[in-house]
Amino acid sequence: MPVAVKDNICTLEYVTSCGSRILEGYRSPYEATAVNKLKAAGALIAGKTNCDEFGMGSSTEHSAFGRTLHPFDKTRVPGGSSGGSAALVAAGAVPAALGSETGGSVRQPASLCGVVGIKPTYGRVSRYGLVAFGSSLDQIGVLGRSVHDAARVLSVISGRDPKDATCEDRDSLRLPNVPESLQGFVIGIPKEYFPPDLDPAVRRACDRAIRLLRELGAAVRDVALPHTQYAVPTYYIIAPAEASSNLARYDGVRYGPRFDGSEDVRALYRTTRGEGFGAEVRRRVLVGTYVLSSGYYDAYYRKAQQMRALIAQDFRNVFDRGVDLLFTPTTPTPAFKAGEKIDDPVAMYLSDIFTVTANLAGLPAISVPIGRVKGLPIGGQLVGQAFLDDEMLEAAYALERAVPAGEEA
Amino acid sequence: MANRWETVIGLETHVQLRTVSKMFCGCSAAFGAPPNTNVCPVCLGLPGALPVPNELALKLAVRAALGLGCTVHPRSLFARKNYFYPDLPKGYQISQFEQPLATAGSLSYLSPDQGIATATIVRLHVEEDAGKSLHDRFPKQTAIDLNRCGVPLIEIVTGPDFRSPHEARAYLLTLKQVLEYAAISECDMEKGSLRVDANVSVRRAGETALGTKTEVKNINSFAFVEKALTVERDRQIAVLEAGGTVAQQTMLYDSKTNSVRPQRSKEESHDYRYFPDPDLPPLMLSEEFVAEQQTQLPELPAKKRERFVEKYGLSVTDAAVLTAERAVADYYETVVHAGSGADAKLAANWVMTEVLADAKDHGERLRVQPGALAGLISLVRGGTLSHQAAKRVFSEMAEHGGEPRNVAEALGLTQVADTGVVAGWVSEVLGAHPTEVERYRKGETKLLQFFVGQVMKVSRGKADPKLAQRVLEERARSLGDLK
Amino acid sequence: MSVTHDDVRKIARLAEFEVGEEALPLLAEHMSRILEYVAQINAVPASEGVKPFVPGPDAVRFRPDEVKPPPLAFGPAEFAPAFRDGFFLVPKLGQFEQEQG
Repeated sequence: MPVAVKDNICTLEYVTSCGSRILEGYRSPYEATAVNKLKAAGALIAGKTNCDEFGMGSSTEHSAFGRTLHPFDKTRVPGGSSGGSAALVAAGAVPAALGSETGGSVRQPASLCGVVGIKPTYGRVSRYGLVAFGSSLDQIGVLGRSVHDAARVLSVISGRDPKDATCEDRDSLRLPNVPESLQGFVIGIPKEYFPPDLDPAVRRACDRAIRLLRELGAAVRDVALPHTQYAVPTYYIIAPAEASSNLARYDGVRYGPRFDGSEDVRALYRTTRGEGFGAEVRRRVLVGTYVLSSGYYDAYYRKAQQMRALIAQDFRNVFDRGVDLLFTPTTPTPAFKAGEKIDDPVAMYLSDIFTVTANLAGLPAISVPIGRVKGLPIGGQLVGQAFLDDEMLEAAYALERAVPAGEEA
Repeated sequence: MANRWETVIGLETHVQLRTVSKMFCGCSAAFGAPPNTNVCPVCLGLPGALPVPNELALKLAVRAALGLGCTVHPRSLFARKNYFYPDLPKGYQISQFEQPLATAGSLSYLSPDQGIATATIVRLHVEEDAGKSLHDRFPKQTAIDLNRCGVPLIEIVTGPDFRSPHEARAYLLTLKQVLEYAAISECDMEKGSLRVDANVSVRRAGETALGTKTEVKNINSFAFVEKALTVERDRQIAVLEAGGTVAQQTMLYDSKTNSVRPQRSKEESHDYRYFPDPDLPPLMLSEEFVAEQQTQLPELPAKKRERFVEKYGLSVTDAAVLTAERAVADYYETVVHAGSGADAKLAANWVMTEVLADAKDHGERLRVQPGALAGLISLVRGGTLSHQAAKRVFSEMAEHGGEPRNVAEALGLTQVADTGVVAGWVSEVLGAHPTEVERYRKGETKLLQFFVGQVMKVSRGKADPKLAQRVLEERARSLGDLK
Repeated sequence: MSVTHDDVRKIARLAEFEVGEEALPLLAEHMSRILEYVAQINAVPASEGVKPFVPGPDAVRFRPDEVKPPPLAFGPAEFAPAFRDGFFLVPKLGQFEQEQG
């Protein structure tokens, strides 16, 4: 089975450039555990896919090597940051591809391209060889033509790895059977994910999916996740803070190109990093440096760590009350026009509004196509409980089979 | 002038832990490999690589903390210390910040100023070392070797407890002793396995508030600790006496010129932006883990010293010499307990003089078997060997081994205790020194020892000195004079 | 929360970026907007008792102390931008202080 790999996951065979000039032409002398496991299971690494630089973006426009086009409408973006992987699967070039998530970078492009995207529980898949962006949020995920294609790959790459201290000491994921019904499942609908200004077509697609889940036998319940509105701001403190530190290693000393034969090492840093990183990466690294700097740490970083705890607690409260899974839209809109949000960072950040919570809380989540909005695909999201990825996949199988994904909602 | 000023010093000591592999990767931690050969994706800071902590390093760190009487925290955090430097591959050092491994310990040491003193250990934490920058290897270029990068360290921070450079040095030597005893570190400053930075300030005698401190770095040998601190103290006093103020800055010590100079750096480079390392879950240490490390700690020097004083009736100074190194202390106790048991004080004298002197000249090897030394000591006590002769037997055993009695006999050194033979030697000596005999007769009785010495010389060390003295004394008594 | 040009310069120095004077106004504006946006979390009342949440194992696992480096398919000489006699090379430390040893 050919599997494509996002450009921020280390492979021995191809260049690993993370969509960045600072790693242009970089060949990794080792490969990621996930890639290693895929090869051992007989998969063929089909190639590397374009992404937003270091995974920072929601449109795959922020790649130093050009933007990726939406497979069905060249004027639109495929989402991001795993836009290359999503577009390739949507175009039918490969049945599945590895992507990576920090705030929705697998599920968001999956939704926009009409494919399946899984983000496993934090710690389910080794991060060894995944180029770090926000280490406490990052997970390798899978994009697939179907839940089954994606789940098969996930099952292969999951499981313990002594090289990653944040990877849980667990066996690889068991592939669930396709269930006959969802009898016994309690699915929560968090009201914060259906704001009054939600695109009516997206809402219609979600309503149809919820009706189908109910028809499959699931009990559907309204629930509240009261701290949801703080998720994006919390995310945009923690992720850049971690990124500012994770990206400090790109200094032109040990690998990657140098942008100047400088006479002074500090000048070498400044030109290499100043020219090697693109605008969005620079912006986030600056914001991240700012929120960690002396005098601001408490108001930003420490506070965000506490908000993260409150957000995670919201989910635990709901699951403790007997809810098995949550259903939400994956993205507030279908694919947007290229260039539409490129100059407005905050507007771009808001396209992650429904996905960042699972990363903050470390939970498994999946996006499944649930219909079309004005001809463009849109995904619905299931969020599961930590380490119950298999239960989430079971429900996704059932939903996928029931939903007329190609039909206008 | 120095008397009007009080010096206040605190030390931060970095100690390399005795592991075979690095702190966060499986690379060798050995010293001296060709450049950049003990490196891997993790310690090179390659994209995507992740750290996994070394179990032994944490065990050794906990042992050090327990040895220094610290509270070991059941939960501590690894943190990133962010700064740019070409020998720091990740752009941050993995260390501990807000929640360190251990806090609130103390170390008692023998202060040259005030006797037994106690230094406060404020904190002890684990971290990784950086690589090495070589500035004189190539023209216009700095060469970077990352072999040392990632080697496990502990940092031990004291309170501002020392009142003089030599007091700081005494603490440091005691710390080194403890860490060597417990096999936590080799503590070799020349190899960089022990490094020390000092916070130095001065204040007018009698004041309680601390003066502005500077940090003195680059003290890379024990020999320089006292010198560097003295130079900085004197500099600060001179500044203050001239009506100036001490600037809070980092000073680098240059051993070649025995001087300090300020490190040029921008203010913001000290904003390390510490935050918990998201690659490393909390460091949780169970009670069992900590208790197990306690059982792995040997008796530490201070305890051993006290015991030696009490059990063997030694002076504090002698006990301190004997316990300075674990190997010597163990050797001494073996001598004392060997065979029928040697006299503890005699054994102490032998170990402190002959044994340590021989070790010093022979790469710190204790060449004479403790059992052999015990036998030698009992030969002296039993009168079979003179002390002089025993020293020759010791040297012979050190070079060629052997049993003390056999060696003494082979060398013909066994003492002659036959009164007739000794009396013959005494007559010979008295006849050869008429002037001294005359002086003795006139009352210069202390010349008796001179005559004993001469008898020993004439007998080539074989005469039993006690017997010789008795014969001399009898001769004097019976004749009223020596004629 | 308004980020000044000086703030940007200072932060850029900390992050070791070359930021041209012409880029300052836009960067300051973007950073201000982002920081203003994220600062809304401070609307939530002080949550002193809340322990930070980080996903992943509750306790770090250890590796045994053995020499077993994860392999490199090829050595630093092949990926370093400047390498000689086994050393990585950088321009001489200038503004950086040269420490001995």
